Amino acid sequence: MATVKLTNVKKVYDKHVVAVQDFNLEIADKEFVVFVGPSGCGKSTTLRMIAGLEDISEGTVEIDGTVVNDLEPRDRDIAMVFQNYALYPHLTVFENMAFALRLKKMPNDVVYQKVTEAAEILGITQYLTRKPRALSGGQRQRVAIGRAMVRDAKVFLMDEPLSNLDAKLRNQMRAEIILLRQKINSTFIYVTHDQTEAMTLGDRIVIMKDGFIQQVGTPTEVFDTPLNLFVAEFIGAPKMNILKTKLTKEGGKYYVNPFGVKIPVDGEKGELLAQKNCGEREVTLGVRPEHIVLAKDGTGIPCTLEVNEMMGSELHLHVYTEDGTRIIVRVPTLDLTHEERAALVAGAKVNITFEGKVMHFFDPETEKNLLY
Amino acid sequence: MSKKPSSLRRNRIAANTAVYVLLTVMSIVWLVPFFCILMQSFRCESTWMVGYILPQKWGLDNYIYLFTHKVSENNALPDFVQWYLNTLIVALANAVCQTIMVTLMSYGLSRLRFKGRKLLMNAMLVLGMFPGFLSMIILYYILKSLGLTQSGAVPGLILVYAASSGMGYYVFKGFLDTIPKSLDEAARCDGATRFQVLYKVILPLSKPIVIYTVLTAFMAPWADYIFASYIAFGTSSGYNVAVGLYSWLTKDMINNNFTAFCAGGVCIAVPITILFMCLQKYYVEGVTGGAVKG
Amino acid sequence: MANKMSDLEYLKLNKFQRMLHNLVSFILSIPSRLVKLGKTIWGAIKAFCLAVANEAKDILLTFVHGDWKTKLSFLVMGFGNLARGQILRGLLFLLFEVVFIVYMVLYGGYWIGKLSLTGLTATTTQMVTVETGTNIPGMSSTTTVEQTVYGDNTLQILIYGTLSLAFVLCFLYTWRVNVKQAKLAQEYKQYGRRLKKGSEDMKDLLDRQFYKTVLALPVLGITLFTVMPIVMMIMVAFTNYDYNHTPPQNLFAWVGLDNFNQLFTWGNGSSTFSATFGELLCWTLIWAFFATFTNYFLGMLIAMMINKKGIKFKKMWRGILVLTIAIPQFISLLYVSKMFADNGLINQFLQNHGIIDLLHQWGWLSESYTAIPFWTDPTLAKIMVILINIWIGVPYLMLITTGVLMNIPADLYESARIDGANAFQQYYKITLPYMLFVTGPYLLTSFTGNMNNFNVIYLLTGGAPYTLSNSAGKTDLLITWLYRLTVTNNDYKTAAVIGIMVFVVVACISLVVYNLMPSMKNEEDFQ
Repeated sequence: MATVKLTNVKKVYDKHVVAVQDFNLEIADKEFVVFVGPSGCGKSTTLRMIAGLEDISEGTVEIDGTVVNDLEPRDRDIAMVFQNYALYPHLTVFENMAFALRLKKMPNDVVYQKVTEAAEILGITQYLTRKPRALSGGQRQRVAIGRAMVRDAKVFLMDEPLSNLDAKLRNQMRAEIILLRQKINSTFIYVTHDQTEAMTLGDRIVIMKDGFIQQVGTPTEVFDTPLNLFVAEFIGAPKMNILKTKLTKEGGKYYVNPFGVKIPVDGEKGELLAQKNCGEREVTLGVRPEHIVLAKDGTGIPCTLEVNEMMGSELHLHVYTEDGTRIIVRVPTLDLTHEERAALVAGAKVNITFEGKVMHFFDPETEKNLLY
Repeated sequence: MSKKPSSLRRNRIAANTAVYVLLTVMSIVWLVPFFCILMQSFRCESTWMVGYILPQKWGLDNYIYLFTHKVSENNALPDFVQWYLNTLIVALANAVCQTIMVTLMSYGLSRLRFKGRKLLMNAMLVLGMFPGFLSMIILYYILKSLGLTQSGAVPGLILVYAASSGMGYYVFKGFLDTIPKSLDEAARCDGATRFQVLYKVILPLSKPIVIYTVLTAFMAPWADYIFASYIAFGTSSGYNVAVGLYSWLTKDMINNNFTAFCAGGVCIAVPITILFMCLQKYYVEGVTGGAVKG
Repeated sequence: MANKMSDLEYLKLNKFQRMLHNLVSFILSIPSRLVKLGKTIWGAIKAFCLAVANEAKDILLTFVHGDWKTKLSFLVMGFGNLARGQILRGLLFLLFEVVFIVYMVLYGGYWIGKLSLTGLTATTTQMVTVETGTNIPGMSSTTTVEQTVYGDNTLQILIYGTLSLAFVLCFLYTWRVNVKQAKLAQEYKQYGRRLKKGSEDMKDLLDRQFYKTVLALPVLGITLFTVMPIVMMIMVAFTNYDYNHTPPQNLFAWVGLDNFNQLFTWGNGSSTFSATFGELLCWTLIWAFFATFTNYFLGMLIAMMINKKGIKFKKMWRGILVLTIAIPQFISLLYVSKMFADNGLINQFLQNHGIIDLLHQWGWLSESYTAIPFWTDPTLAKIMVILINIWIGVPYLMLITTGVLMNIPADLYESARIDGANAFQQYYKITLPYMLFVTGPYLLTSFTGNMNNFNVIYLLTGGAPYTLSNSAGKTDLLITWLYRLTVTNNDYKTAAVIGIMVFVVVACISLVVYNLMPSMKNEEDFQ
């Protein structure tokens, strides 16, 4: 039952270090928003400003229409999950989860009911009498989430909750958070540096860099139509290949010429270019590894294979062109015959190509997407 | 090939033996004076200093002397008992007051952020560079005008110790600095005020360092000579044990009181040592954790 | 030139060249470091002046832009808050102002007025002729009685005057806060923001303003019982308060820098004050150096012996040493002091067994001594003091170094052993640098602490032998000398000067170590 609105929020440390600026965002009720970006981009600072743990230098934060700039965290009705769990070491799991309720002086039976209910959902009922130090990392994380759950808070804040877990547990907890979200009717703000988490969890993703928002959008939007080169490279793994090339126009049709190979820009992208009335120019061309295919007929860009990573369902081929540009190609294992796969050893010659509809065009100067 | 490991082992045994010898010698050196004090306290044949350690005539005369001897008949209690009580009261009061002051100060400087925090800490650092009793004369005058010197030295000492104890916050703060800040933040998000953070989260976690602070605060008054002697100057009923026993070792007193001094020393050292040994774990934790970080 | 060498070139040098290079570049860097230090200080001064100017500007602007309520609160403190509904804050300001004015009128002005310490009358005893009634009517006889005429007490004036001045400063600060609050209240009203109620202010004291609650008591205590006395004592250094000027019978007065002058007057032979001071300062520094480092290295050695692999009963060895920490120092120190006295345990033992005679025969001990002069021979006394300090201090250092030693990552040693380092090299290349890095700040505080280590010296020797002028002894530290000047000689002005000089020395050493020692910064590799 809560919206969150940030208007022109700015954070300055020590009078001159700017951590966040021009932050404008409206978060709808029950929305799951993910702040993502490299470390030091200001995502955690923003979250902490929403929580009330950092002062807001400029701008306003509203929760449910009320400006909360001057409110203490406890008056904002928020719950927060921390990266290092922040469980109270001297209290049992039960008391950890009951901490907030006890502070509100709730009757014991209500506390008991709420805590056991949350523990049930998270599957930690058998640990309720233990101290946090007797738990594994995953269990601790569940307690931390449970502690936030019992609060029925308006806004649920999570600061990199999975980054202290190992890869396998992280995947498992990620799925659980998705399930959890369906059970808790609350607004979620989730901070992570991992784009996979952002893509899988978020209704909307806020991509940040150096204190500025780069793009806000649904996972599909930020993947398909990255507004700038940073977003394009940040979202998607392995990251997008970047090629310097020239956009040419012949008879109303656009072409790109990477490494002397002429590839037509057809389909939607070509139409958009035409709509924008784009002339011939230098462009930074972005192509995702999964959109590059091996040209078996000998056409396309000639490359030399450097490394072949066998990932199971797919191969990641690290190749370099004649002028030394490195390109990653992602090929589904099943697309290749056994013999073809056997031939992909270091030093092998391969030809690659890609279609016009998968291309992204960026201005080499401003790094902005030319089409959106 | 087969010779090498055995020579290695022989070297190690030789090294370990040397270490054992050194440690034994060290232990003897460190314990002998205390052993001497203990022995002298049971010596009955003379009260002055002698050239041997084991008493020729054993007995509890010195202890009886401690608990009966009065300089003047007007004194309510035997001198030593009076001093002992004085010190005990000061020590207990100081253990409480100093712990409270130090806890408040350290919590404020470690967990709270406010304008002037750095300034305050630097000011404390600079203040600490002044020799402690530079202020003694003035303090004496102030305390005297409050009637807290000579026979009123006990409350005077408590007041002065407590008032200036905030400056010894370093060890406690060093400990608090190691408690993750996210605990405070989590508690505040959970609805705790900063005050509730202190007593619901930080204090329960600070048990070792609180015990360390209580222990050191309790032990300090037993050893304070300089300030106690100045405040209680000349009035036996205001002495603490350090001042009192020191007065027994002056030139004209020593021949009558040397063995009594040893007995007094034993009476003081034994309870403190037992207490200390019980809480040793916390003391070691405090010293190694807090003292080095400064 | 040495400064411009690149890191790679430096790596080519051999050990000797490197040391030379480090030394040269360190010496070359001193001027720039000093300049930097100067700049820091200058910057701080400038920042302070700027802050004061800003405050003044803000006060002025507040007055110019303020409405009548704000303007009135310049005169009636708290009016701005009261008029805008912040009753509690307003009342507190007002109350403070009333208390201040009443105090100043009744007492404060009087004491501050007398702070010049001139035109005062001392307390005297006079012979006064008093009329006494007699039994015979119409007749009266007179007798002469001794009567005390109470005058001023300069020490009292100094204390209360300074306190009153501090109160004035406190008032000025509160007034400034009051102006700021009035301005804030006005602005809040203008922008339609809600002002905090008194009850909310009280709640804030447990939360947002909790630091005020927490620090109020300790800071007040420190201000009254540490800061104020130190300020007053610094003032005493500029008076002639000594044995001849002890109020209330003999008043003291301001003498400017006279007391400091005698500290810097050289040349009248070795009996001058400055010569004594110089000698004691030297010994204090030597003492602090040895007391710190002997304890440090021996403590480390013992800790390493106890921690050595294969040594059994670790707890017992450690326990024996820790035991000695528990026993109050004055007992152990006084006992040991008597143990080594001329007629103490050791000397009596040596005499009884003819060892003293033996020493005489061998010419190791002058015939004039009937006992080994542990405390009467200056050099021997100094050595003894340092040795006994080891006995007192090593257990404590053993504990500290044990803690640090255990924190040294074991893999450092493992990789060193694989690289072929022997035990000594391991110590020299890993243990020692690590220890020095971690305990660096502790060493500094312990050095300055030892400079002020009253107990050990006073309880062991009391400063004896007293062969120096100005009632100083050979083993006296500045601090014990200061004590004796105060307690025995009542030479307060000199004591104050010495106290200030001790502060200056300690402050300089700390500053130099923090700013100039390259090792304090270079060894961050261990973190």
